[in-house]
Amino acid sequence: MAQELYEHRGLRAKELAAQGKKVVGYLCCYTPVELLTALDLVPYRIQGRVGRPLKQVDQYLETIMCPYVRSCFDLALGGEYDFLSGVVIPHTCDAMHRVYDIWKYHLKPPYSHCITVPHMTHQASFEYFQKELEDFQESLERFFGRSASGEDLAAAIGLHNHSRALLRELYELRKAEPPPISGVEVTWVLVAGMTIPVEEFNDLLKDVITEVRSRRPGSDGRPRLLVVGSEVDDVAMIRLLEDSGARVVMDDLCTGSRSFWEDVHLAGGALSGLAARYLGGITCPCTYRPGKVAQRFSYLEDYVRDWGVQGVLLYTIRFCDTYQLDAPEIKGYMEGLGFPVLYLEDDYIMPPLAQWKTRIEAFLETIEAKKRE
Amino acid sequence: MTQEVREKTSSRKSTESAGKIRAIVKRMYQEAQQAKEEKRKVAYCMVMCNYEEILAALDIVQVYTENYAGLCAVKRQAEPYMEKARAEGYSDLLCGYTQVGIGFDALRRELGGVPPDAPDGGMPEPDMLLGCSMGCDPRWKWYQALGRYKDTPIYNMDVLMPPSDADMDAIKEHSVRYMAEELRGLIAFLEEQTGKKMDYDRLMAIIRQVEETRWWWREAYELRKAIPCPMSTQDHFVLFVPHHMLLTDPMTLDFYKGLYQELKERVDNKIGVIDEEKYRLLWGVGLPPWHSMYILDYYLDYGAVFAAETAYMVPDPFEIPPDVTDPVEIIALRAFARNTSLQRQGQEAGGVPPLAQAHLERIRDYSIDGVVMHITRSCRASTMGQILVRNVIRDHYPGLPVMFMESDIIDLQTYSEAETKNRIDTFMEMVDANKRSAG
Repeated sequence: MAQELYEHRGLRAKELAAQGKKVVGYLCCYTPVELLTALDLVPYRIQGRVGRPLKQVDQYLETIMCPYVRSCFDLALGGEYDFLSGVVIPHTCDAMHRVYDIWKYHLKPPYSHCITVPHMTHQASFEYFQKELEDFQESLERFFGRSASGEDLAAAIGLHNHSRALLRELYELRKAEPPPISGVEVTWVLVAGMTIPVEEFNDLLKDVITEVRSRRPGSDGRPRLLVVGSEVDDVAMIRLLEDSGARVVMDDLCTGSRSFWEDVHLAGGALSGLAARYLGGITCPCTYRPGKVAQRFSYLEDYVRDWGVQGVLLYTIRFCDTYQLDAPEIKGYMEGLGFPVLYLEDDYIMPPLAQWKTRIEAFLETIEAKKRE
Repeated sequence: MTQEVREKTSSRKSTESAGKIRAIVKRMYQEAQQAKEEKRKVAYCMVMCNYEEILAALDIVQVYTENYAGLCAVKRQAEPYMEKARAEGYSDLLCGYTQVGIGFDALRRELGGVPPDAPDGGMPEPDMLLGCSMGCDPRWKWYQALGRYKDTPIYNMDVLMPPSDADMDAIKEHSVRYMAEELRGLIAFLEEQTGKKMDYDRLMAIIRQVEETRWWWREAYELRKAIPCPMSTQDHFVLFVPHHMLLTDPMTLDFYKGLYQELKERVDNKIGVIDEEKYRLLWGVGLPPWHSMYILDYYLDYGAVFAAETAYMVPDPFEIPPDVTDPVEIIALRAFARNTSLQRQGQEAGGVPPLAQAHLERIRDYSIDGVVMHITRSCRASTMGQILVRNVIRDHYPGLPVMFMESDIIDLQTYSEAETKNRIDTFMEMVDANKRSAG
């Protein structure tokens, strides 16, 4: 089911749109999807398409712009996202900021909204962000002619928190040696979840977890990898790693754990909880987290310990200044902890090619040699 | 490609004021180095963060790191620093200014002192690092990355750039409140670092001086609407220096008064940049090719003068509200007013994206015949949106030629002079044809 949804992305959302449901597209994991769900809108994470040559985008976006954003926009230009009733783009990084005006001017979506996400995490940043989310909710209510009560919002938060809990449960299963689910399969699930209503995703996750729990794979001692980076909404790179003999057991990706690791807490109020979770709980380099590398990335140490990781793939997309500024520190930090790191800078558009295979094989040999030591 | 050692990379200037800048820059670095020796506090800074007056009121010496990178490029001495940054694991696609800055500090640490032959004696070791989110992401990420090389205290703050379609009146209150809180956080940090208390009366006096300085620069700038244009972009790309890097210095106020007088005299006497100004161009969004500024002079051979820019813009006028007495709130209000001005104008114009709005206004007000934009490989922030601007210009001024020049702010690797000149040749043919057809 997850694979089918992955391979036919948008199919379910288009079906729902044809039935009269309003589907709202969004970029970036900083978009508080709970606000959409609370208004009976279907959140749909806009994705690019690895392996699909760009067709029209050069007439609209510069070639030095984030290739992931270029791919998303190219698909939109081709009509792929015509079923959306609106688009939400948070100002999280320079590329997101700039593409908002471009999207709006050229594609003219029925509804559009840009959420200003602070880069800082001062107390005042959270207060400001909460007000931004309040404005976002009002903007949605005004355009779609609906309103969400406190109970509606709490219920939506409950549904999305349930998704997060189920995903963490699924990830928990990956701690086993060998993991009963591959990195490719996990990617199918994650991508599927971005394209369907949260209730349906929760049902899907329960089925996946039940199936995965029933598996009894034999141990084969393959190197266990953590993948750190930004957008991975395609299996090509994960498949290349796994076909080369590795097992991807954990990630720190904005399409992966980063998007669900932290829950929204309701104790201080729904909007306050959303502001705290989205600004404070997402470890994207677009948010400034003070401190030296060991403070900022200590959670990676938890990941490698708890998931039995033996090597790290650091995967960044070209032209991403925020990641490029963190990557050498992350690499040095993980190597300092004793883990081999392979740093790949990708162009996103074309699937990983043969030259990567050679580098990956050499990297896996390094891990094997280290295991033998 | 190894950066060519070139005696002169600068462009032709029209004004005496521009001729004074090189000495001002040299003196600026000398004074910063001397301040460090005298144990006065030195901060690494980013331009246009809205904190200049605050730093001056606490006697903190400001060193603008992006601009030092630009100086290295002008001198064609950026490459060793970029190479060092790349050797430290940073991508060659990273912001060129940041590559130079990180490379410089990585080398300083390795060598135990300022790298030899650093242009103008190098940047002094900072006592604090002050980034801000206005403009682009590296402007606050860069200083955190320096944590690999130094334990210098850091304060990063947000400076908001509200979305183009926001209801500015509705968001004003909480946006200004946030900006003011960020500034108060900065003041608390600076007081701790310097051991001084902020003198708010002094701060207010500096703000008034700065606004007067800006008034004179704006008045001078607007004289460029005259035909012939009394000065060009070649001048502008050095004349912004006192404003951006020595904003609170009383010398800067006098400098722009002097610039105004000089341009007024040139306008009154119809003295242009060249004898026969045939075409007027706009240098659109895109920072300049610091490594090869002389390429701008190639346009002069065609009788084309850059009469305006949208890079290093003169800030909009700001009237200090008489009922607001808190200087921090005034800075916050001013930042909001300036960072929403183009959005408001774009909304009034029927939904023109703010970046494009800046171009449309200049095309109209400065009698522009063609637009040149500079695609810079390593500066995403000033490059993203250029095609949008071109497309909007096409919608409003069909036929107006727009040229994309391609290279970088720092790195020469992607720059081909022959190809650039070919493009300019073609572009100028189009400018000429369009002007003739328009009668």
